[in-house]
Amino acid sequence: MKKQTHKYKIPVLLSGKVFLLVVCMLLVSMVSKSQQSTLVAIGNSSDVPNDLALSELKSILMGEKQRWKNGDRILIALMKTNTPLGKTTSSKIYDMTGDELNKFWLALVFQGKAQAPKFFSSTEELKNFVAQNRGAIGILDKPITDSEIKFIRIDGQQSF
Amino acid sequence: MQINLKTKIWFTICFIVLMFSFFTLFYFPNQQGKLLINDYNKEIQNLANTVALGVKIAITEQNFEGVQTAIEFVKDDPRLQFVSMIQYDTVWKSDHSNYKINKTIFKTFPENQHPSPETTSNDSIIVKEAPFKTDMMTGAIMLGFNTKEIVESKEKIKIASIIVSSIIFFIGIFIGFVLARNISVPVLALRDAANRVGEGDLNQKVKHMSNDEIGELGKAFNKMVDDLSKTRKELNEKNLQLSSTITKLNNTLDELKNTHLQLIQSEKMASLGELTAGIAHEIQNPLNFVNNFSEVNTELIAEMKQEIDNENYEEAKKIANEITDNETKINHHGKRADAIVKNMLQHSRKSTGQKQLTNINVLASEYLRLSYQGLRAKDIGFNATIQTIFDGSIGNINIVPQDIGRVFLNVFNNAFYALNEKRKTTTGNYQPTVLVQTKKTGEIVEIRIKDNGNGIPEKILEKIFQPFFTTKPTGEGTGLGLSLSYDIVKAHRGEIYVESKESQPPAQSDHSDRDDRFEQGEGSVFIIQLPVT
Repeated sequence: MKKQTHKYKIPVLLSGKVFLLVVCMLLVSMVSKSQQSTLVAIGNSSDVPNDLALSELKSILMGEKQRWKNGDRILIALMKTNTPLGKTTSSKIYDMTGDELNKFWLALVFQGKAQAPKFFSSTEELKNFVAQNRGAIGILDKPITDSEIKFIRIDGQQSF
Repeated sequence: MQINLKTKIWFTICFIVLMFSFFTLFYFPNQQGKLLINDYNKEIQNLANTVALGVKIAITEQNFEGVQTAIEFVKDDPRLQFVSMIQYDTVWKSDHSNYKINKTIFKTFPENQHPSPETTSNDSIIVKEAPFKTDMMTGAIMLGFNTKEIVESKEKIKIASIIVSSIIFFIGIFIGFVLARNISVPVLALRDAANRVGEGDLNQKVKHMSNDEIGELGKAFNKMVDDLSKTRKELNEKNLQLSSTITKLNNTLDELKNTHLQLIQSEKMASLGELTAGIAHEIQNPLNFVNNFSEVNTELIAEMKQEIDNENYEEAKKIANEITDNETKINHHGKRADAIVKNMLQHSRKSTGQKQLTNINVLASEYLRLSYQGLRAKDIGFNATIQTIFDGSIGNINIVPQDIGRVFLNVFNNAFYALNEKRKTTTGNYQPTVLVQTKKTGEIVEIRIKDNGNGIPEKILEKIFQPFFTTKPTGEGTGLGLSLSYDIVKAHRGEIYVESKESQPPAQSDHSDRDDRFEQGEGSVFIIQLPVT
């Protein structure tokens, strides 16, 4: 399967106005895109850290890190890739399509290298899972209020 | 070739043990091995199917729990050689006219294993595939398990089989030994005991009897021997009794024979007595003449002496002549008596058994007269008419005259007895008559003696020739006369039978010329047939 990549080519030899227009358009699209692909990392209130670096988050979500510092197993909760949030998560964090993500995790599980995430069809289910399981971490698209869930600041930011 | 019981038992035990050993050493392990391999194959296939299903669910539903659980279960199995996910890719030709399926290994656990998608089972590894198909991916799970455990299990089964076979073998030997001892030994003992019993030793007993059918057989044998011994004793006692009885019977038989002889002698003496009576009666006549004429001569001699004294010599000569005449008569009658005595002596002489040519008519006539005179001597009031029709052409025939004479005497006596009995009970005009007729027909002489007595009832006709059968009152007859007569006639190769009014004559009789004077009224006809030579 062919890997799809989005390449942003910034033309360098355009005129000023056109350059500004393009930059504005780009900024607008980036803003809109950033508004569409804003992700929030949540974790179980018991043992998940409050702050994580993005690279660390990716490492966790890629299955490279499997336990928290206190030894609890990391349980990943994601939305299914056939949901918008799932697609966003798949592309933004894993840089993969849904099928690629499935194959990725299948390979890891098949070789026993990692425990696959739990995929949910609704954010409510995801939230409940994270709230009820120690060491659980999940990705949502907007903040929520729950006493059993904490928001993890990624690179000091609430969303990323 | 005779095979004894012990050998048969051993053969049977050995056969059973060998069969069991074959089963235990070869068949059972073989079957168990096949069973193990089959179960193993099924187990591996089931595992592959489970993993494949997990993969399918993981891909289609993004639920990795199933495949995770299956993979962890498979990973922990010590028999696992590898588990691979094979990816099927459809590769079309450039012109899309044909395609082929490319199989590539997607992932393998453990990573150090590099199986080929075409790997198949062999002696050391069992490979099973379970396909799966999703929109995203089509492929198969290939599971490879080693057969080490199977081989070890087979070895264990083999060792267990050898051990069990050996145990069974020794148990079989032991059982064979015990059976041979418990069955063969008692049976052989029974055989030997039976042989000795057969030779006559009834003191044989079988010992050491077990509580089974063999023991019961032994007890039955002992009982049989006891019964045989008892029976033999009883038989011996019975034999002794039988011997004693036989001795007594022999003695009785001798006595009976003696008695028979005595009775026959009595019969002979009786007939002789009757004969003697007849003869005596005949002698009486000439003796009377002798006595009378002697008395007369005595008187005449006295007269003659007186005449001589008176010198009447002429008168004396006359008297002497009378005396001479009387002496002649005395001589005549004396010779008559002498002849009669000689005749009596002839009849009283024992039969020599020698046949001689004899005039049957003369013999019959003589005994007829003697019998008649004998009866008249006993009963002076008896008178009968005697008729004779003798065939002059008969001449002499070859017979034992004393024996045939006895036959005639018996028959004539019976005839006269019958006439006398009828005379005593008949009132009116009854003329007792006896007819004696002889006739020669070819080589047979037939003598018929007919009387007009009461006849013989039909119901006793067949008995009259039986010994000791008589219709006379007790003391008057021995019942042997006709029986002896029958035997004498048979000894002469002749026939004797009787006809009554009711009886039928035998076929061999020629009745063409018999006298019919007595055809009317009651009576009996005795027919005696004798060969001429």
